[in-house]
Amino acid sequence: MVFGRLTGRYATVSNYPGTTVTITKGRAMVGAEMCDVIDTPGVNALEGVLSEDERITREMLVDGGAEMVVQIADARNLRRALLLTSQLADFKRPMILVLNMLDEARARGVDIDSEALAECLGIPVIEAVATEGRGMSELRAALPVAAIPRAARDAGIDHLHWADGTAARFRTIGTVTLGRFQEWLGRAVRQPLTGLPILALVLYVTYLFVGVLGAQTLVGALENVVFGGYINPAATALTAHIPIAVARDFLTGQYGLITMGLTYSIAIVLPVVTTFFLVFGFFEDSGYIPRLAIFADRLFRSMGLNGKAVLPMVLGLGCDTMATMTTRILGTPKERLIAITLIALGVPCSAQLATIMGILGGISVWALLTLFAVVLMQMVIVGFLAARALPGDRSDFILELPPIRMPRLRNLLTKTGLRVKWYLGEAVPLFLIGTALLFLMDRLGALAWLTSAARPIVTGALGLPSDAAQVFVMGFLRRDYGAAGLFTMAHDGSLTGLQAVVALTVMTLFVPCVANLLMIIKERGLRVGVAILTFVTIVAISTGTVLNTILRVLHVTF
Amino acid sequence: MSRSKPQTRPAKPEPELRTLASLAPGTSGRVVRITRDLTGRAERLAALGISAGAAIRVLQTFPGIVFECDQTELAVERAVARAIMVQVADNSSAWEVT
Repeated sequence: MVFGRLTGRYATVSNYPGTTVTITKGRAMVGAEMCDVIDTPGVNALEGVLSEDERITREMLVDGGAEMVVQIADARNLRRALLLTSQLADFKRPMILVLNMLDEARARGVDIDSEALAECLGIPVIEAVATEGRGMSELRAALPVAAIPRAARDAGIDHLHWADGTAARFRTIGTVTLGRFQEWLGRAVRQPLTGLPILALVLYVTYLFVGVLGAQTLVGALENVVFGGYINPAATALTAHIPIAVARDFLTGQYGLITMGLTYSIAIVLPVVTTFFLVFGFFEDSGYIPRLAIFADRLFRSMGLNGKAVLPMVLGLGCDTMATMTTRILGTPKERLIAITLIALGVPCSAQLATIMGILGGISVWALLTLFAVVLMQMVIVGFLAARALPGDRSDFILELPPIRMPRLRNLLTKTGLRVKWYLGEAVPLFLIGTALLFLMDRLGALAWLTSAARPIVTGALGLPSDAAQVFVMGFLRRDYGAAGLFTMAHDGSLTGLQAVVALTVMTLFVPCVANLLMIIKERGLRVGVAILTFVTIVAISTGTVLNTILRVLHVTF
Repeated sequence: MSRSKPQTRPAKPEPELRTLASLAPGTSGRVVRITRDLTGRAERLAALGISAGAAIRVLQTFPGIVFECDQTELAVERAVARAIMVQVADNSSAWEVT
């Protein structure tokens, strides 16, 4: 957050640890000089046992050529901040200490004599509230006078004792003035009796906003009115003037860039992605998500993880590719492998959630619940088995809970805007490439060949119409793109309710998209990447087969 | 240690060491030491401010243990809480906060 204010570059920030797990670079003016500013992952320690994100930061300091360090600390917890300051001092770099979230600290009765502290440390100490931009000009002014702090090493004692003593000297704790409602809410969301009903309410509100407003109202308006009524007829009328039939079909045919590629990405997926990002950002900034870890810890421990894994998993609902990177906050390689696999297997990303809600929301709530129940069950089973089959340990569940607070509308809108922009820049081109690929395969006869080759699985085992094969081809590129294909099939009545549930379940269990696969390979290597892809595909198809059989035997029609 | 003792207040005036896992919500006290039975656990906790001398207050014990230390709420699993040895404060009362 401070980084963004300093450089004018926006890095996605949220109210929980693990938002920044990678290094972001920007530039800022220091005096009259332009300098590179590097945002490192947040750390609690730089010595002893480190997680991957902490190692990245340590490496930056050791041989990253950092000339100056700005430590952004949580003002509520001076002791901890100073423990890190003391460890940072050992790197012998000029430093500035920023006491951020000072408003939160004051509300909790914490008062810090920052002037005296600055004198004691021999470095500038800046009081700041980054969300409001307070303290940023002071920070800018202090950059040229950064100095190497006097800390534990100079006092000849260990970091811990030094931090204890120094914190006690410069901090006084008075009366708490935290809002009564805020305090109650912070307690209510983590206790089972109130927390579970609140969770149900959160899910229901999300469903109303994303599933009803986004997937039904907005999609309906865009697809039928804007695209169906104006854009597509207009585009078809325009291309009718093109004398070459192939070019005409390429733009507005069955697999046309406009009639298929753009319609899918803009009319079907975009509205839901936008509404989802809004709700998601709200809960992210409120500090609610980490509190879910308390409830999830027990279940996750049986899956070889701990409650902390809730963070990458829930983040996966936004984007699985980002979530794969966020698994860096987990303590052990085993935990990371399990979490990455489960994210690839079962966590539907926003774009896919969009199409799922769009299709099944129109059939029945039971169809929706069946899909989620099956997917969740698969994740638990796979996690349970992986916990026992894979070597290694899980780490301790120790998690800091951020303060509960009201998200700021401006931050929320900026964040949503950036994510939507990211979607338009990243996903829409893939939709178009996918459409072009399908067009090419159709012309070359490869699509017909693939459809008949996949028939035993698609129509035999999964009980779907043979046309669904091409939807799965699309699904390999991006599963939401495949799901968008199912969306149109469901709309023109070529899928029954049962078939829609089976097809979507298989699609959800697929590896999310090409980008996610590449990220897995980048994070864990090619061998693991291929193994996860193969495994996930097998699980997806066999689960679909079993589900299809059971539903047919029970005569479920939805 | 006294990890399985029922949650009664010590009758004797002198302080008694308890594990964090055995304390009722509302109890406050000071961390005396972290049992070193797992590599890195004590360091992890220290980095979050949980080390000898830290004042803590238990907020919740189910489904996970949540406690407050230095105006920060922390959630830990039972196994971790069992390694944190606490000296219960004299004026601490379990019914203060529910």
